[in-house]
Amino acid sequence: MNKKKVVVIGLDGLEPSILESMLDRAELPNLAKLRDMGHYGRIQTTYPAQTPVAWSSFATGTNPGGHGIFDFIRRDPKTYQPDLALSEFLPPKNVLSPPRVVSLRKGVPIWRVLTQAGVPSTVLRCPCTFPPDADGGKMLAGVGVPDLRGGQGTGTFYTQDTTASAKEHEQVVHLQKGDDLKSHVIGPRNPRTRPISDMTSEIRVRVDRSAHKLLIDTNGTPSHLEVAEKQWSPWVRLKFKLSVLQSFSGMVRFYVKALSPHVEFYASPVNFDPSAPLFPISSPGTYAKELSEKIGLFSTLGMAEDHDGHNNQRLDEDAYGAQCEAVFEEREKMMWSELERFSEGFLFTLFDTPDRFQHMFWRFIDPQHPLYDPDLAAHYGDRIASLYRRCDRLIGRVLEKVDENTLLIVLSDHGFNSFRRAFDTNTWLWQQGLLALKDGKKPGENTDPGSENVDWSKTHAYAVGLGGIYLNMRGREEAGIVEEGAEAERVRKAIEQGLAGVVDSDRQAPAIRGVSRREQIYSGPYVDQSPDLLVNFIPGYRVSWQSAVGGFAENLISDNTRRWSGDHIIDPESVPGMLFMNRPVRNGSARMIDMAPTILNYLQVSPPPSMEGASLL
Amino acid sequence: MKICILGLDCCAPDVIFNDENLVNIRRLMDGGVYGKLESVVPPITVPAWMCMSTSQDPGSLGVYGFRNRSDYSYDKLAFANSGSIRSFAMWDQLALEGKKSIVMGVPPNFPPRRINGISIGCFLTPDTVKDEYTHPADIKTKITELVGEYPVDVKNFRTDRKDWLRDEIFSMSRKQWEVIRWLIREQEWDYFQFVDIGLDRVHHGFWNYFDKQHVQYEAGNPYESVIPDYYKWLDDQIGSVIEMLDSDTVLLLVSDHGAQRLDGGFAVNEWLIKEGLLVLNEYPKEVVPFNKLNVNWAKTKVWSEGGYYARVFFNVQGREPQGVIPQDQYESFRNEIKAKFEALPDDKGQPMNSLVFKPNEIYRKMRNVAPDLIVHFGGLYWRSIGTVGYPSLYVQENDTGPDACNHAQYGMFILSSPNCPLSGPYEGARLLDIAPTLLDLAGYEIPDSMQGRSLVAGLEKKRPGAGEDQESQKIIHDRLAGLGYV
Repeated sequence: MNKKKVVVIGLDGLEPSILESMLDRAELPNLAKLRDMGHYGRIQTTYPAQTPVAWSSFATGTNPGGHGIFDFIRRDPKTYQPDLALSEFLPPKNVLSPPRVVSLRKGVPIWRVLTQAGVPSTVLRCPCTFPPDADGGKMLAGVGVPDLRGGQGTGTFYTQDTTASAKEHEQVVHLQKGDDLKSHVIGPRNPRTRPISDMTSEIRVRVDRSAHKLLIDTNGTPSHLEVAEKQWSPWVRLKFKLSVLQSFSGMVRFYVKALSPHVEFYASPVNFDPSAPLFPISSPGTYAKELSEKIGLFSTLGMAEDHDGHNNQRLDEDAYGAQCEAVFEEREKMMWSELERFSEGFLFTLFDTPDRFQHMFWRFIDPQHPLYDPDLAAHYGDRIASLYRRCDRLIGRVLEKVDENTLLIVLSDHGFNSFRRAFDTNTWLWQQGLLALKDGKKPGENTDPGSENVDWSKTHAYAVGLGGIYLNMRGREEAGIVEEGAEAERVRKAIEQGLAGVVDSDRQAPAIRGVSRREQIYSGPYVDQSPDLLVNFIPGYRVSWQSAVGGFAENLISDNTRRWSGDHIIDPESVPGMLFMNRPVRNGSARMIDMAPTILNYLQVSPPPSMEGASLL
Repeated sequence: MKICILGLDCCAPDVIFNDENLVNIRRLMDGGVYGKLESVVPPITVPAWMCMSTSQDPGSLGVYGFRNRSDYSYDKLAFANSGSIRSFAMWDQLALEGKKSIVMGVPPNFPPRRINGISIGCFLTPDTVKDEYTHPADIKTKITELVGEYPVDVKNFRTDRKDWLRDEIFSMSRKQWEVIRWLIREQEWDYFQFVDIGLDRVHHGFWNYFDKQHVQYEAGNPYESVIPDYYKWLDDQIGSVIEMLDSDTVLLLVSDHGAQRLDGGFAVNEWLIKEGLLVLNEYPKEVVPFNKLNVNWAKTKVWSEGGYYARVFFNVQGREPQGVIPQDQYESFRNEIKAKFEALPDDKGQPMNSLVFKPNEIYRKMRNVAPDLIVHFGGLYWRSIGTVGYPSLYVQENDTGPDACNHAQYGMFILSSPNCPLSGPYEGARLLDIAPTLLDLAGYEIPDSMQGRSLVAGLEKKRPGAGEDQESQKIIHDRLAGLGYV
């Protein structure tokens, strides 16, 4: 009997409207072929339309209430502080152990169901698999894997310009004058020192002006590299010493920005070394190492594409584009190394690059974006389409390995749209009198992210995360004042009615379609961890940078002037994903929660009762 | 406090302290105190492990190796077993203070010692299917449920079949560590001690593929990584056990002796024959073990038993049945023989620099039948060949099967305890100091029978730390750095 196979290729954030017009113009021949073999259609995304939420629903076949991932960002009701929602660092179990990390995605993922049924499963780079599930088959973790600093990606800008200072989420290292410089790469924090200091890895940088390149000597591998201006180096493995006895390994890539008037170069965030990651990133533990020995070193960081480098103008469009291409290539090699020997079971590979790329390059295709520049658009406006064509070529290769016993699924977790205007939910709540600041402060007056400025005794609701609003509940929040029942209902109604259809007066357009209550959109064991209310923004709008981390903007709605110009954390009805299959699908709209039952159906494994959807076959 | 001892038989300090891939071990070293550990003479698994647990020297225990003379006759060599050593051990002190112990595979532990707690037979257990090798008896049933047939050793580890040997060693160790984790997690204990015998076997089986100084070493051989792989395997297992311990635990990684290359074997009885000290009625036609020789005892003055070191016995009037050496000449004769051993050259005519010990000089007491001399040929770079029938005194093949390494006088220790005032590298620690030190740190009395000294005697113990500082808000916010969406 021939063994059944399911291949899933995730193309994160691929937008159906762009895709469909390109299909109409016959620019995506392989995807067209795939459509003709079976199906193309849109697929409902999750509430909210975010990568870790949607892929977790893909994995577990449940709404977010069944897996507990409601946003990239969660808050601690005891402190009101924001933190990453995908995983949690725990202190060591005892003084002898290393620190631990646990994944916060609950529920039963499809790869565990398959493994228990004896069906081989390989999952590459699915979000919320850090650390990888036990008994989940072969896995390589994706979004959620931090860098050596413990964050989602902090790069370092090196410059001889003494006036340069660090912008958002980056480090700046000032270089000495001259053409023969000593410097260092910043590694993890050393928890033993007081005050806490950084572990570093020394480098020596010499400038070869005639050849327009930097010669870099490291204490790692390679120990010597030459990087031309406007070029990326290959991966460099470095050692960071904790003590005489212990050191950690990490990897960076360098980009040489300029040699004059100042020497300026950039180091990517320090990624985990696949052969010696600080925390587990693969299952089995040795898989990441074996993969790197087979296909070469690859980014292990969840957010592999360095969008902050581009946002902070350390990396220009070409540098960012080149890095995105490199990551895409690594991912393709990884996929291919498994696909070429794939003979049975489930193989999943996610390509995140389309999402990260569209986030930064949307300003070149939306003439109404505050950052739109016609000259730049002329130059870079085709890059997104070019990436879609790249995806199409990828699918062409995959199709070569698809036979009559293979179900091929190509999908995106959500679509994409423009992020032109930022809406500050906390400022709105303050304007409505639902949130109070201490000492008569106003938003914008030193109200950075952090709860110290909020007067909780007079606050009924607050916003943290990419669309969530929490009631300041008595008995739940540390300084909660709202009682369950009539008072909570009053607050909810005030927010629902106030936000629905709220108008951006500067643009004479509505910013918010409405608000969803968690009871309306979620069910399952983890609903109590979600925000009480979810704001559904109209395309063009998104929550502000400040409000997302619990802070305040001075104005209610402002232009989004960051290069991060596209986004999708808006009304999920406005950003469905796209779905291709090489089999026809039944009637009715496809939803993320239907994917796991579909895959299990094809592989003839019964879905567990927790799965809410139904097979599309 | 609890005491947890993970014994790594034959662990070589230079290997374990210098491999940065052993991340758990390195973390323990960084947070604890570590160094070479001087073993006893002779540095052999039996009696060294019990010397450690009792803090008494071999003479005081009355056991000088695996096989000991039961009396002064010529052929009553008996294997040591758990009954051979009943001296007061760490677990006995704990029992006195009402505490339970788990003693797993600590040689000699067959028949299993009936301690207050759980006792599991060591590698001397003849047959784990037929024999009652656990106390209480029902532990055997649970072990069988957990791992099936329980391996205590790799029989015939002196073999040419290296692939088989490697696989057997790893397979045995996997099962043993499975049992360790079960015991630590499910059973009540205040003292836990295990000895990993796989490490000793992997050294003896593969040292010549690993040590570039070994005469048989060939670069690029297929077994070069077996020893480093086994250390890494142990590091992973140690990591898994660390996770299961309370903070309030004195943790010790320790070895009974080290490992070093073998340059060859010295056919000691052949040499004694040449010197006229050992007289045979008939010289054998082929290579024959000592106990099969036709010895003329009336004319023999000295004979020896082979192994990693030599036990040398004199045929003394009034002591042995056909004794030859007059008692009043014993000491001068012994000095003569000692000098002869010390003057021995190696196969190239260079001084072999053998070490010769008089038991009465190195032991506090001499119980049972002690050897008259103990010889470490070439400082243990040469082993002792007891068989006779070789054309040369210097032998490359071992008479009991291929064996690539000898024991080294120095083993290792890594001690990690939240209240330990010592930290970093430590010089001068001895095997007999271990038990007093552990009992001292864990808050137990140190029995007078213990000969060593606590390494922390007189030092003020640290108060356990308040734990890691609370993370600052900055570090939390940094976790969101690079997310992009914020």
